[in-house]
Amino acid sequence: MALDIAIEQAGGDRAVIALTGELDASNFTTLIEAGRKLHADGTRRIVLDLTGLSFLASSGLVALHSLIRILRGEAPPDPEEGWGAIHSLEFDVSGGGVQNEVVLVAPQAAVDRVLERTGLKRLFRVHEDRSAALADA
Amino acid sequence: MPTPEPPGLAIGHRLSALLAPFAAFGPDLVVAVEDDAGNLIAGTPSDRPVVASAPFGDATAPLGRVVVKGTDAAGLQVATEVLAVALGTLAEAAGVDARAVEERTRIEAELALGRRLQRSFVPLVAPEVSGWALASHYEAAREVGGDFFDAFAPRDRRRELAIVMADVTGKGIAAALLMAFARPLIHAAIDHARRPAVALERTNRILVEERRAALFITALCCYVDTRSGSLVVANAGHEPPLIIRDGTMSLDEVAVGGPLLGAFPSIALDEARVTLAPGDTLVLYTDGVTDARAADGTRFGDDRFRDVLRDAASAGASARELVDTVVRSVRDFTAGEPAADDLTIVVARRLPPRPRVRRFGARSASPR
Repeated sequence: MALDIAIEQAGGDRAVIALTGELDASNFTTLIEAGRKLHADGTRRIVLDLTGLSFLASSGLVALHSLIRILRGEAPPDPEEGWGAIHSLEFDVSGGGVQNEVVLVAPQAAVDRVLERTGLKRLFRVHEDRSAALADA
Repeated sequence: MPTPEPPGLAIGHRLSALLAPFAAFGPDLVVAVEDDAGNLIAGTPSDRPVVASAPFGDATAPLGRVVVKGTDAAGLQVATEVLAVALGTLAEAAGVDARAVEERTRIEAELALGRRLQRSFVPLVAPEVSGWALASHYEAAREVGGDFFDAFAPRDRRRELAIVMADVTGKGIAAALLMAFARPLIHAAIDHARRPAVALERTNRILVEERRAALFITALCCYVDTRSGSLVVANAGHEPPLIIRDGTMSLDEVAVGGPLLGAFPSIALDEARVTLAPGDTLVLYTDGVTDARAADGTRFGDDRFRDVLRDAASAGASARELVDTVVRSVRDFTAGEPAADDLTIVVARRLPPRPRVRRFGARSASPR
């Protein structure tokens, strides 16, 4: 299943990324790449609209976490970099509280279950719809 | 003054030195370099058939072929991987123009190393535990996920069986390396912790302190009292274990959870306590089972997985047969679609007590 990544500028240093389809091991790096590009162009906060995302594999969690780090100016290792990745595994683990870089919109039940199960949901503020998220981002 | 060696011989010596480590595989997996006529240039001579081979050297000045010979029929994949590794080693170290070494070869070799690394860490044989039947299956995705499992008696607690199932998020060499780092860490933590939650919490702390956790690990840790059947489970973000109850064939989910490893500096995990009655079966798995995808995009899914387990158990499947049935069902379902993720399943059944045979007289089949 393909993953569609739609990006909109939302004013200031904010952008909206709407995901449609499935985020899994076969495509999670494209989301990381999209985050890198946005950061390079000045984006510092992202509203991640999950309304159209029907499936989130555990690999997708890496992409969500990587987005936060990218927006903080940290460089997550490229999972496909091979041995080079060993030397770039350093990063600051999140303080454990909610972060401000990425806000989520409307995860479907299946996606919400994965976020809950893995405890990563506690990293994110979650909103019902995009406008509420934009007001918060 | 020593006679200078012919250049071909010098290359042969250098290649032989590079190939020396492969000799450790023994006669069933021999790596050598041959010229086009099949004459040995370097490596170990062998009469075994060629399992895999590839041209080696600069495209404009081929040096010959790297061949992997052996007899192990099941070893084709291994041979291909060894070949890729040998090619990478030779091309890089033998001073062949680096451009001749395709990027693809490097990546393939790394993937091969990752898979070998991973396989070497997954126990191939389940331990023998009296009164229990254990069975497992592990299958690497092409691009290596980071699944691993382990089953062992913790140090100084011989009555106990620790079963670990874990999945490093992400894929590729980074996932395989984190797996290689985490597995002994978890083992040691279990040896030193009376409670599975404590073992996982300590593992998390070390992963975070060592800053190895660019990826995360979902992990499930079960302590089984092999005599009483009582089970303590801690779960760091992993798929919950299932218990198939003998008789009713109902499926219970051990509902205990918590954050995955490596994402938070400190985690507190709950534990669930359940008891396996004789005949009950514990099933641990990774999302490679439930997330397996058919060509039309549908996932194998929780419901289908549970149906397969229930049906097989109702039909009287042994632990081994249960694992094999799941693996076969996933294969039938995906029908040749390449697996995006590793697939791992471990089944532990508490065996019903053997019926006691009262022996009259002295006819015993087994010597004392």
